[in-house]
Amino acid sequence: MNILKSARGRLRLGITVVAVAGLALLAAGCGSSGKSSSSGGQSSSTADAVSTTPPPVPTKCATKGGTLKVLSAGDVDHIDPGEAYYSFTYEITRPTQRYLLYPKQNSTALRPDLATAMPTVSNDGRTVTVHIRQGVRFSPPVNREVTSADVKYAIERGFSASVANGYAGAYFSVIKGTPTTPPATPKPISGITTPNTHTIVFHLKRPEAVFVTALSQPLTAPVPESYAKKFDDQAVSSYGLHQVATGPYMIKNNKAGSINGIGYQPNHLIELVRNPNWKASTDFRLACANEVRFMEGYQDPTVMAKTILSGAADANGDTPPPAAELRSILSNPSQKKLLYFTPTGGSRYIALNTRKAPFDKLDVRKAVAYVLDRNALRLTRGGVVDGRIATHFIDPSFGNKGFDQAGGYTFNPYPTPSFNGDLAKAKAMLTKAGYQSGVYTGPQVTMVADNTPPGSDTAKVVAADLAKIGIHARIISVTHSTMYTKYCNVPKNEPNICPNVGWLPDFHQPQAILDATFNGKNILPSNNSNWPLLNNPKINAEMATAEKTLNTAQNYEQWGRIDKQVTETASAIPWLWEDYPTLFSSRVVPAVMYDNSGSPDVSFMSVK
Amino acid sequence: MAVDAERRVDDSPRQAEPGGVVADAPPIQAGGVFGALLSPMPLYIARRVLWGVFLLFVVSALTFLIFYTFPSADPAALRAGRQASPALIAQIRHSLGLDKPLYDQFWIYMKGLVLHFDLGYSYQNSVSVRQQIFTRLPVTLSLTIGAFVTWMLIGIPIGIISAIRPRSRVDRTTMGGALLAISAPVYFLGLVALLLFSNIGVFHLLPGAGSYTPLHTNPRQWFESLLLPWFVLAAAFAAFYARMVRGNLIEVMHEDYIRTARAKGISERRVVLRHGLRAALTPVVTLAGLDLGLLLGGAVLTETVFNIPGVGRYAYDSITNSDLPAIQGTVLFGAFFIITANLFVDILYAFLDPRVRY
Repeated sequence: MNILKSARGRLRLGITVVAVAGLALLAAGCGSSGKSSSSGGQSSSTADAVSTTPPPVPTKCATKGGTLKVLSAGDVDHIDPGEAYYSFTYEITRPTQRYLLYPKQNSTALRPDLATAMPTVSNDGRTVTVHIRQGVRFSPPVNREVTSADVKYAIERGFSASVANGYAGAYFSVIKGTPTTPPATPKPISGITTPNTHTIVFHLKRPEAVFVTALSQPLTAPVPESYAKKFDDQAVSSYGLHQVATGPYMIKNNKAGSINGIGYQPNHLIELVRNPNWKASTDFRLACANEVRFMEGYQDPTVMAKTILSGAADANGDTPPPAAELRSILSNPSQKKLLYFTPTGGSRYIALNTRKAPFDKLDVRKAVAYVLDRNALRLTRGGVVDGRIATHFIDPSFGNKGFDQAGGYTFNPYPTPSFNGDLAKAKAMLTKAGYQSGVYTGPQVTMVADNTPPGSDTAKVVAADLAKIGIHARIISVTHSTMYTKYCNVPKNEPNICPNVGWLPDFHQPQAILDATFNGKNILPSNNSNWPLLNNPKINAEMATAEKTLNTAQNYEQWGRIDKQVTETASAIPWLWEDYPTLFSSRVVPAVMYDNSGSPDVSFMSVK
Repeated sequence: MAVDAERRVDDSPRQAEPGGVVADAPPIQAGGVFGALLSPMPLYIARRVLWGVFLLFVVSALTFLIFYTFPSADPAALRAGRQASPALIAQIRHSLGLDKPLYDQFWIYMKGLVLHFDLGYSYQNSVSVRQQIFTRLPVTLSLTIGAFVTWMLIGIPIGIISAIRPRSRVDRTTMGGALLAISAPVYFLGLVALLLFSNIGVFHLLPGAGSYTPLHTNPRQWFESLLLPWFVLAAAFAAFYARMVRGNLIEVMHEDYIRTARAKGISERRVVLRHGLRAALTPVVTLAGLDLGLLLGGAVLTETVFNIPGVGRYAYDSITNSDLPAIQGTVLFGAFFIITANLFVDILYAFLDPRVRY
C-alpha cells in the first residue's frame, strides 16, 4: 500500500510542529537511545519505544445509537471501494462493504466475512473455492440479495481502466484469463466461475501463497453489475458516487443512489448512516452508533488532537497527533489512557540507486549504512513515539510470520554504537571500495526529497551524514507525490538517493513487504516501487520459490531469509519500524483496526 | 411570425455606399443610440471587458503551462495507485486525455469552458469542478463579506480617532496594535485565536475549527462558527485600513477648504465627518473593492486554518492532490473575481475622472 499515512503528499500547516519538536530533540543531544545494546541490536523488552497494546476488543455496545466523529486532514484516495488503496479509505470501506474475508480484531489473522468459512484450496494449489453467506443484501436503491456473480464482477471491474484498481494486477493477475492490457471497461475473466449463486471458484495459473490473504482486500466487496455497469462503462467510473453497501453502514444517499454532495462532500465530510438492509444475524460487527461522520480538512494535527481531547470529536482518522502533543498526552495520566499505539507493519528506509555510481558498489552502500545516524533520522519524525529503529524490513508486528525468522531484534548487519553511526567503519568500507583515506572523491550525488518536514528534515540528516565521508548530495526538493510519481518511481529519472521512501504492507504476509519493493522482476518503467532497483538473481530466485510455497511455516522461513539477504545488500537502509498513534475521546469505547495502522474501527466503537 | 418579419427586413431595398454603409440606415446623430455606444465611456468599458476576457485566457494558459512545465505529480500514476502496471497507467492517461499534446488538451478544456461553462471533472473523485466551486461559493461569500464588514467597522473608526488625535496615547496604542495585526500572519493568528477562544482553547467561548454551519441550516451556529474567522481574516485588513484612513484624513484636514469650513463656524464633528472623511475615504473605497475581489477567489489560509469548506480550501486541496482540473477551476475562478473587481474599480474611476477614458 502507499507509504504510510503521508502517502497523499499533503502539505500540513501543523507539520512544522513536528519538525520543531524533532529539531528541539536533536539539539538536546540525541540521548534517547540509551537502552539499546552496544551492538546496535535491541531486544523486545528493552528497546526504546512506547507500548503498542491495542484497546481490548469490545464484545458489546456501551450504548446503541449516537454519532461518532472521526477527524482527518485529507480525503479518501477514491470513494469507490474497487479503487480504494489507502488506509484512511479503509476506515470507510470496512464498515460499509463486506469483503470475502476480514482481519480479526487485534490480530493479523483473518476470518470469514461475506464468506461462510475460510476458502478451500485444492491440493495442487490452483483452485480456490469460496462459499458466500446467504441473506446479505445490498443497500438501497438495489435492495436485492448478494450473489457470487456480484463478487465476480467486483474483481473483473478492478482490472479495467475505468476503475483502475492499484493492486488487482499484483495479487489477482494469477487468476486465469485476467487481461494483460487493461480493457477500457470491465470484461469477464474466464478464471472466475460461479457454479451457483452462493459459490465462487478461482482458477489460478499457478499456486500463489498470498492469494487467499488477498481476498481480505476491498476489491472482493460485491458490486451489482446490472446497477453498476452504466457507471463503469464511462471513461472514469462514477460508481463510487453511486455505490451501494453491504455492511452495517452506507454512505448517505438520495433515492437514485447518489452520494455526491449528500453523504460524500469531497474534502469536507463523509457521512455514514445505517444500512436498512443489513442484518446483524449475518455479521460479527457490533455497529453500535447510528451515524458516523468523517470530518475532513483538519490540516493542523495539534488542533485535531485538541479537538478530540475536548470531546468535540472521537478519533484521528488519517493524521497522528504531533510528537509534542503525544509527549504531553503521555505525561498526563487521564489522557494517556486515551492514546493507543499500533505497529503499522511498515518501515521507512533510505533507498540507494544500485544502477548508478557510486552506489553500484556494495562497499560504498555499506559505508552509507554505517555512517547514517538512525537516531537523528528518527528524531526528524518525532523520536521514540514514532516507533523502533529498524534494522531490517519485516516489522516486529509480523512476529513468527517472518520477523523472527529474519533474526528478530538481534539481526543487524550494520551495527553502530547506540544507532548513532560509526564513522570509522564507514571509512573502512570506503577504503575497501578503493577510496584512499576512506573519503569519497567522486562527483556530487543527487537526492530527491520532500519539500516539507518531516521528509525534508530526514533528507538534511542524510546529507549531513554522507558529507562526513565526502559524499556531497544535491537535494532536489519537491512535493511528496511529485517525489514518487516523477522521480523515485521512474527509474530513468531516479536520483542516486531517495531518502523519503517506505512501504506499508497490504496485509501481514512477508511477501507483501518484500516482493514489490526488492524483486528484480517488479522493476517497472513507471510506478516502480523497487526504489533501489535491486535485481539480484539469487534473491529473485528465492522469491520466486517463496511465492509458490503454500506451507506457511516454510513460507515464513523463506521470506525471513530473503529479508536478511536484502538487508545485507545495503541497497536500502531501514531506519524506522513505524508505530501509529490513535487518540480517542473519553466519551467513546475505543476500537482499532490492528492490521490497518491502528485506524479507528467505527464498526466496534460505541458512545459511552 | 419571426421569419416573416425577418424576410420583410431582408426584402427591403438597400443601397450600399462605398465604405459599406447602408444608404437607408438611420443617420448617426450626436446623442443617439450609436452615438452613445461610440462615446468614450461605453468604448472604454468594452475595451476593459475584452481585456478581462483576454487576461482570463492568459491565466488559464499559464496554469496549464506551469502544471506541466514545473515538477508536479503525475495524475495518471496517482490515480492508478502504487502497484499498478505501466499498461494500466497508460490506459488511464489515455482515458483522461493526458496522452494528447498539450495544445490539444488546452483546446478541449477551453472549448468545454466557453461552450458549456464546463470546468471539467476532478481526477481524484470524478466530481464536477463547477459543482464543487458553486457548492463552496456561499461559504466563501459568508466568510469574505463578514470579514469585509468587520474590518470596515473596525478600521475606519480607529483611523478617524487616530487622525483627529495624532500622537496621542490613543493614536500610539491603536497604531501599535495595527502594526502587530499587520505583522501577524493569518495562520499564526488563527491558531492563537483557536487555542484561546474556541472549544479547544483556554476560554471556551466559540466553536472551533470545522464547525462551519450553513446559514440556512442554523443562522445562530453560522454566526458563531464564523465569528473567529471573521476577526482573524479582518485583523490585518482592519489595521491596514486604519493606517490608511488616518494618513489620508490627517492630510485632508490640512486642506484649505477644511480651514474655510472651520472658519465658517461649522462644528468639528461635522468638519471631520462631512468634509474631511468624505475625501479621505475615496481611495479606501477603491482599495476595498479590490481586496474584496481578491478574497472572493478564496481566503485560502483562513479557510484552511479554520477548516471552512470554501473555495480557498478547495484550491489548497487541489494543489496538494495534483488535481489539475480543480486547480485550473479555482485559479480561473479567483482570477475572474480579481479581474471583475479591477474592472469595476476602473469603471468607477472613469466615471469619477473622465481623463482615464481616453
